[in-house]
Amino acid sequence: MTSVGAARHDAHVLIVGGGGTGGALAHDLALRGLRVTLVERGELTSGTTGRHHGLFHSGGRYAVNDRDSAIECIEENRILRRICPGSFELNDGLFVAVEEEDLAYLDPFVEGCAACGIPAQRLTRDEVLRLEPNLNPELKAAVRIPDGTMDAMRMPLRFFATARHNGAEIRSYTEVAGLLAHDGLVSGAVVHDHVTGKEAEVRADVVVNATGPWSEKVAAMAGVEVPIRPSPGVLVALRGRLCNMVVNRLHKSGDGDIVVPQRGLSVVGTSSWVVEDPDDLGVPEDHVERMYAEGAKLIPAVRHAEMRAAWSAARPLIGAKGADTGRELSRTFKTFDHKETDGVEGFVTITGGKATTLRGMAELCADVICRKLDIDEPCRTRDTVLLPHTAYYSAAA
Amino acid sequence: MSGSPAAELPGTADRAAPGPVHHKGPGPAPSGWLDPRGRGLGGRTFALHRITGIALLVYLYVHLGVLSMLLIGRSAWGDFLSVVTAKGFLAFDVVLMFGLLFHAFNGIRVALVGSGVAVSHQRALFWAATVIGAPLLVYAALHVFGGT
Amino acid sequence: MSDPETETRMLRVYRFKRGDGGEHFDEFEVPTGPRTTVLDALRWIQLNRDPSLAVRHSCLHASCGTCGVQVDGHEELACVCAMRDQGQEVTVEPLANLPILTDLVVDMDEFFARFPDEHPIIRRSEGEYVRLEDCIECGLCLSACPVAATSRHYVGPAALVAAQRLLEEPRGADCEAVVDWADRPEAAWGCHVGLECTRACPADAIPAERIMALRHRLTLDGKDGGS
Repeated sequence: MTSVGAARHDAHVLIVGGGGTGGALAHDLALRGLRVTLVERGELTSGTTGRHHGLFHSGGRYAVNDRDSAIECIEENRILRRICPGSFELNDGLFVAVEEEDLAYLDPFVEGCAACGIPAQRLTRDEVLRLEPNLNPELKAAVRIPDGTMDAMRMPLRFFATARHNGAEIRSYTEVAGLLAHDGLVSGAVVHDHVTGKEAEVRADVVVNATGPWSEKVAAMAGVEVPIRPSPGVLVALRGRLCNMVVNRLHKSGDGDIVVPQRGLSVVGTSSWVVEDPDDLGVPEDHVERMYAEGAKLIPAVRHAEMRAAWSAARPLIGAKGADTGRELSRTFKTFDHKETDGVEGFVTITGGKATTLRGMAELCADVICRKLDIDEPCRTRDTVLLPHTAYYSAAA
Repeated sequence: MSGSPAAELPGTADRAAPGPVHHKGPGPAPSGWLDPRGRGLGGRTFALHRITGIALLVYLYVHLGVLSMLLIGRSAWGDFLSVVTAKGFLAFDVVLMFGLLFHAFNGIRVALVGSGVAVSHQRALFWAATVIGAPLLVYAALHVFGGT
Repeated sequence: MSDPETETRMLRVYRFKRGDGGEHFDEFEVPTGPRTTVLDALRWIQLNRDPSLAVRHSCLHASCGTCGVQVDGHEELACVCAMRDQGQEVTVEPLANLPILTDLVVDMDEFFARFPDEHPIIRRSEGEYVRLEDCIECGLCLSACPVAATSRHYVGPAALVAAQRLLEEPRGADCEAVVDWADRPEAAWGCHVGLECTRACPADAIPAERIMALRHRLTLDGKDGGS
């Protein structure tokens, strides 16, 4: 392992889960000089992070109903542009009113954006159709906001690449088979290596549960509960780059109200329901139909576009119990320090957030972990430019 | 708690070892171009081009060796001729003609495609070569079998 | 997977775990429906038959390029390869020409090591817009290439496409350096017009055409492989 960024502290943090959250946390803790090991049972971002439509969020969707979330999003949007240059299609996005009822949302939307510091520009129908000729010609109004597109896997991979080059041990195809937990203390995990079939115990001062929709399963290994349920949504990828800007429906929130360009494809999403098992989501046919129907209201060509793929991705949904427990670090993400919630030391669950807010989530979680370990290190991720994603593959040896 | 995190994880040493590399085709790596299964027109003509190239080279040496029989004398040459003009053996000549024609025409195709001049027409070039080459092969075969 | 049109197919899956050194095939009977992909079938096996099966995937929609495998000898992205288009018995193996980490997972470190140093992933779209490059770094082209099957030094189609894209749209790259990088026997001159790469590419990166354009540029520049 490289000597660059060798750990300054003895404390060892074991992160379970190789999604965007885990990767950003590994990066933050590595910069703070802690020893970090991250284990992921499959390929990095294979759980939920890699599956989203690729929206680089401006916060617009939350500007009316959830201003705190919107402010978090636009702030992280600005930071990511700085620390992740060359990873985003910075084409902006549109919120488009296609039916009369949508217009009632127009003023609150523009006011909400202004209140949250999200640059929003009203456009005339002609201006919009010049920007995006494939839009529904019946559109009534549109607002331009600083959305963008990212590659759902490659952007987080930059965090992993940088963490690795700074001494963090990132290990994929390594699954946590159980936690070393007794007498109210979690001291590590039993990990199973899928490459060899071997198992071993790994000791750590803090184990972080960053497994998203699998949070409940992992927490149960420590004998604690977290009120997180898997809530999947269906997405559909269609052949053809039908837009360059992200196209959102100007309304409160609903199924199939976003179309995101992904290279030569267009992704329409999404829907929402709750399941028990995050490994068995299913793809309900009526949801697929709904994506076509709703997407076509924004871009008529969606109706007849050939399907490339239809899949489901599970969000971690914080249940009603969760509203009362855990520390609400912010409106979009939460940390459960299980010493406070369940009397179990050495174990922290982090969940929630949007793909765009991964860095911010990691900063607040890393603060909690450092406080627990009595380590005084500031966060350095706001201004550290990340290595390119390909650097992940040159980090070994 | 000292020591690098990697040391505690299972399988660290095993992962560092190089893994097996699979390739299409029979035998060890350099034969990977040979197997036509799972390949399209491009891959199959590539394989055939290599085979005909090797075969023509071998034939060149055989041919020179055969010609050297002329140095031995008339009767040796006569015996040799009676073997190679038998109908069964003449078939090899047709195969040789096919190899020559294929390698020549496909060679032109590869030269045009491989220097970027005619990339998008690679399939058309193949069929053009076939349309020109096939009658030539038939003509040659007729002469080989029919001629005296 | 419990819709009325379920039928059972047999998957022969390549297995390799390090340590015990064994390479073998396991057979699994898998229920499939009209929408089932090869990746769905493999994940069904992980969930219901063998949790030790290692499979690589991430986006489930042909954008991340991680799920490349060989299905009956053809390179495919498992997440968009429909089971209904395959036969009753389907053989799934890892990609060729790259070292295998375990089961169906190849070690991509060697794939990325072949690329030129500069590798921007954002390019021009139409008008003032920008977009991600077509190439999703899946490795299907390298697996399909007959030259890559004979030589581990050949950089392969994807790396040459990356170089050609830099010449098509420099974005600040040093074009002379890119040309020198390509002008080597193991780079552009290693291609022998097998044309399997374009056939395998799931992302319209048209590797064969781009490699030939690169060679065309080298030819016009009077390059000869630097010998």
